[in-house]
Amino acid sequence: MRSEILYPGAFPMVRVELAAGEHIKAESGAMVASSPTIDIESKMEGGFLGALSRKLLTGEKFFFQTLRASRGPGEVLLAPTVPGEIVIMELDGVNEYMVQKDGFLAGADSVAIESKMQSLTRGLMGGEGFFLLKIGGKGTLILNSFGAIHKIELKPDQEYIVDNSHLVAWSATTSYNIEKAASGWVASFTSGEGFVCRFRGPGVVYIQSRNPGSFGAWVRQFIPVSE
Amino acid sequence: MTEFQPNALCFGQEFPASGEPCLVQVEDHGITVMFLSGAAEDRSESASFSALTVAAGGFDHDQLVVRWVGAAGERTLYLKHPDVIRAFRQAAPDQLRAPLDRAAEHVRQARHRHRMVWSVIGGTVLVVVLGLWFGSDLLVEMAVDRIPVEWEQKLGESAYKDFLAQQDVMKEGVAVSAVEEITHRLVEQIPNSPYKFEVTVVKSDVVNAFALPGGYIVVFTGLMKKADSGEEVAGVMGHELNHVLQRHGLERIVKQLGLVAVLSIVLGNHQGLAGMMKQLGVELLTLKFGREQETEADLTGLQLLHRAKIDPSGMIRFFEQLSEKDEGRTEWLSTHPMSGARAERLKAELAAMPKMVPAPFSFDWTKVRGALGGEPAAKP
Repeated sequence: MRSEILYPGAFPMVRVELAAGEHIKAESGAMVASSPTIDIESKMEGGFLGALSRKLLTGEKFFFQTLRASRGPGEVLLAPTVPGEIVIMELDGVNEYMVQKDGFLAGADSVAIESKMQSLTRGLMGGEGFFLLKIGGKGTLILNSFGAIHKIELKPDQEYIVDNSHLVAWSATTSYNIEKAASGWVASFTSGEGFVCRFRGPGVVYIQSRNPGSFGAWVRQFIPVSE
Repeated sequence: MTEFQPNALCFGQEFPASGEPCLVQVEDHGITVMFLSGAAEDRSESASFSALTVAAGGFDHDQLVVRWVGAAGERTLYLKHPDVIRAFRQAAPDQLRAPLDRAAEHVRQARHRHRMVWSVIGGTVLVVVLGLWFGSDLLVEMAVDRIPVEWEQKLGESAYKDFLAQQDVMKEGVAVSAVEEITHRLVEQIPNSPYKFEVTVVKSDVVNAFALPGGYIVVFTGLMKKADSGEEVAGVMGHELNHVLQRHGLERIVKQLGLVAVLSIVLGNHQGLAGMMKQLGVELLTLKFGREQETEADLTGLQLLHRAKIDPSGMIRFFEQLSEKDEGRTEWLSTHPMSGARAERLKAELAAMPKMVPAPFSFDWTKVRGALGGEPAAKP
C-alpha cells in the first residue's frame, strides 16, 4: 500500500493505493471515493465486545470500515470530518503511540488498535477522557487533527507543556503529568488554560493548532436559538 | 545475515526523536545494541552492566529504561518486550539488582494503584446503582410520607373531575344507593381517616373500578352487572379503598416522576413538583399498581371487609370468577392481573381470621342488577 496526502492544508484528503488483496481499516465514514475494485466491509475491531467497549468508553466509532481491494488493485480517497491536517506515519513494530479518540483516520491492517484506560487524574483532568487508543504494530498509520498538526520532538528528560485539548498523539515512551497552568488555581482558570500536560521525553508529541472544544463554544454563539 | 526484528527503541543525539528501532541482546558482560536501519544501519554498540543505570518509564510506567554514556554519547534505551526485560534481569550483576528491583516495584505499585483506584470507582458505582435499585422503594415511601394529604386530594380531585366530565354519571337510583351503603359500611370501619371518600357510579359496560389519590373512587356499572352479590362489589371497593389508604397512587406517581422529584420532596422543595404532578394527573387514570401494592390492597381490603362484617368470600369469589372469564372487556383484570395464587392467598388469610357473622346489606342485589339492565342474579 502506498499513501499520499492530497491538498495539504486545511482540507486535505489521503489517496491510498492498494495492491490486489490488500486492505486497510479506516474510521467509519472516512471514505470519500474509491475504485470499483474496492469493497467496503464494516468490521468490529476486537470482536463485538471490543468494539462495544471502544464505542462506549472512548467514544470512538463502533465500527471501523475495512476497505479491501478484493477484485484487483485500486485506490481509495479518505477524508476526516473536521477541517485540519493529516499526517502519515510508518510504524516499525517497536514504536507505539497513544492517540486521543478523534485522531485516528486510517491504518494498515497490520496496525493494532486497543483501548487503553488511563489513570484517574489524567482521565479526569487530561481532557481526552479516561480512554485512549493505543496504536502499535507495523505499517502505515494515518492521523488527522483539527487545524494544523505540529510535531514536538523531545530528547530524553526534555520537558514540554501542552494545553490538554490540543493533544493528538504521543509516543508511548513519553509520560506526562497534569498540572495547573499557572501557580494559583484562580490564575489557572482565568488564564483560559485550566489544566496543562507536562510531557517528558524521549519521544514525539503531535499537537493540533486548534482546540475543538473552544471552537464548538465559539460556533454556538452564532446558532439561532429555536423553540 | 538473518532478518532481525527490532525489540527496543534507542534514543540519542543523532537519532530521530521518536527513537531508533534496534535489536537488544543481553550477554554475560552487558548488552549489545544493533541498529538495523536508518543512519546507523548495521552498526552495533555495546555497554557493560557496570556502565548502566536502570529505571521504570514510559507512558504506563511499564517499560524498562536503560541509560549509559558510550563512545557515541548519551544513550537511552526503552525496553518493552517482556522476554528482553526478563533476560536483562537474569543476567544483571548484583550492583544492578537493587535498582532493577526498585524499578519493578515501581511498576507494580503503579499498576496496583491504577487497579485499586478503578476498583474503588467501579465498586462505588455498583453500590450506588444497587442502592438505588433496592433502596428506591424506601426512598419513595419516605418521599410519599412528606406529601400533605391536601395535595393528594387536590391532585386526585382534578383528575377525578376531568374524568367524570367525559362520562355518563349515574346520579340516583337503587344502584347508587347500594354503592353508597357499601361505601358507608366500609368507611365507618376506617377511624381517623384523613380522606373523605367520594364514590361515583359511571354508566359503562366496562368491567372496572378504580381509585384516585385523595379518596376518589369510580365504579362502573359494568362491574356491578357482572357481580352476583353486593358482597362482591364490596370486595372490589374494599381493595380500591385500600389503594387510597396506603397512598399507592402517590407512590406510583413519585416513582414515575423519578429520583430527582423524590429527593426534592425529601429535602423539602415542594414548589416545582406541583406542576409536574398536575401534568401526570391524566396519567393517573391509567395508573397500574405494582404487584406488591396489589397484594397489600388485597390483604388490607380483606381485613376491612371483615371489620365491616361483610362476607369476604364474595371478594374471593368475584376474583376467581373474573379470572376464569377471559373476556377482552374485563378492564379490571388488565390492571389487576388475576392469578390462582392470589385467590389462594386470600383464602388462607381468611381461614386464619376469627369467625364473624356477616351482616347482610339492606338492598336487594337482584333489584339493583335489574335496574342496571343486567341479567338477574343466578341463584346459587
